[in-house]
Amino acid sequence: MIDAAYAAEGAGHGGGAAGGLPNPMHQFEIKRLIPFELFGFDASFTNSALFMLIAATLITLFTVYAMHSRALVPSRLQSVAELSYQFIANMVRDNVGTDGMKYFPFVFTLFMFVLTLNMLGMVPYSFTVTSHIIVTFALAAFIFLGVTLIGFWKHGAKFLKFFVPEGVPIVMLPLLVVIEVISYLTRPLSLSVRLFANMMAGHTMLKVFGAFVVALGFLGGWAPLAFMVAFTGLEILVAFLQAYVFAILTCIYLNDALHMHHH
Amino acid sequence: MAGAEKQSGREQNGRDAGTIRQRLDSLGEQLAEAKSRHAPAPGPEPQGQGAALGQALRLGIELVAGVAVGGFIGWWLDRFLGTAPFLMVVFLGLGAAAGIMNVVRTAKRMQADAQSVKDLPSVLDDDDD
Repeated sequence: MIDAAYAAEGAGHGGGAAGGLPNPMHQFEIKRLIPFELFGFDASFTNSALFMLIAATLITLFTVYAMHSRALVPSRLQSVAELSYQFIANMVRDNVGTDGMKYFPFVFTLFMFVLTLNMLGMVPYSFTVTSHIIVTFALAAFIFLGVTLIGFWKHGAKFLKFFVPEGVPIVMLPLLVVIEVISYLTRPLSLSVRLFANMMAGHTMLKVFGAFVVALGFLGGWAPLAFMVAFTGLEILVAFLQAYVFAILTCIYLNDALHMHHH
Repeated sequence: MAGAEKQSGREQNGRDAGTIRQRLDSLGEQLAEAKSRHAPAPGPEPQGQGAALGQALRLGIELVAGVAVGGFIGWWLDRFLGTAPFLMVVFLGLGAAAGIMNVVRTAKRMQADAQSVKDLPSVLDDDDD
């Protein structure tokens, strides 16, 4: 039944529907490359999984190959690898402190993964994994759970004090604690929605304007084309910025859990 | 004779060291000059419009997320306790409060970050005056 829905969706797009513009959401469609079922769950290898695999492979190849010579005077590629290391190491040190360097591998992996997925999405005909809320939400939910567990593991029940603001009259306390807890619970949502919304909105815009270029033809198509060129530059900036924001917010959450600094 | 020769040799060495030091100093000056020429001017904002747009979107999402999570918790509790729709109304309000609190906190952090970026060049400029 789902397959039929997929087929209908595909057909609806296929000929540009009723002569209108092509569907700008078509690029986000999940396609099963290798159908596979595990205990009744659909665990197919999809185009999304393929691009995650490509990203993981690219990162591994890049870091391993760039550092293979371990030269004192780095080559260009080695400089890039060292720069990205430095970038994240400084971010963790500035936002979490030196005792947060334990979690550096996690933040580095996270940043490189999100950045590579975002950048891969900028390649024409590719698929943007981070434009799916379920992917970004899974990442954010794991960060949220992990950070909360770290908080309880470090401070025990004292971590609950994180939700109790200081210097508040006792009458107001129940209300404020509830608000603090809700505010804490919004973290995975705002973290995931931010990345997903940025990536999806940008790619939809690109597709819409791409359709304008084709629809307006040789005479009128230059204006949207010029816009697209500028917008592609902005999108590359956004792709980097969102990976950066994702990583830095992970650092800030980690810092809250480790040191319980109240913001 | 040999002593004089040694003396002159030492002098030669001394003079060499002097010139080398001189050359090193001038090289250092040239390097510093070149560095200052290539250093990015302490411009207005390192980030452009894209970053500003990102920040605005961030604040908006923060607010909406608070309301959404509050509403969801209320709806879920209602379904659990059979008190629809009272808890959802209450928690929507609490969620909005949490969202606004998050926005204020995020804005404060952004302001602090912007301030620290702005302070940096002025600290470097201090040795001019």
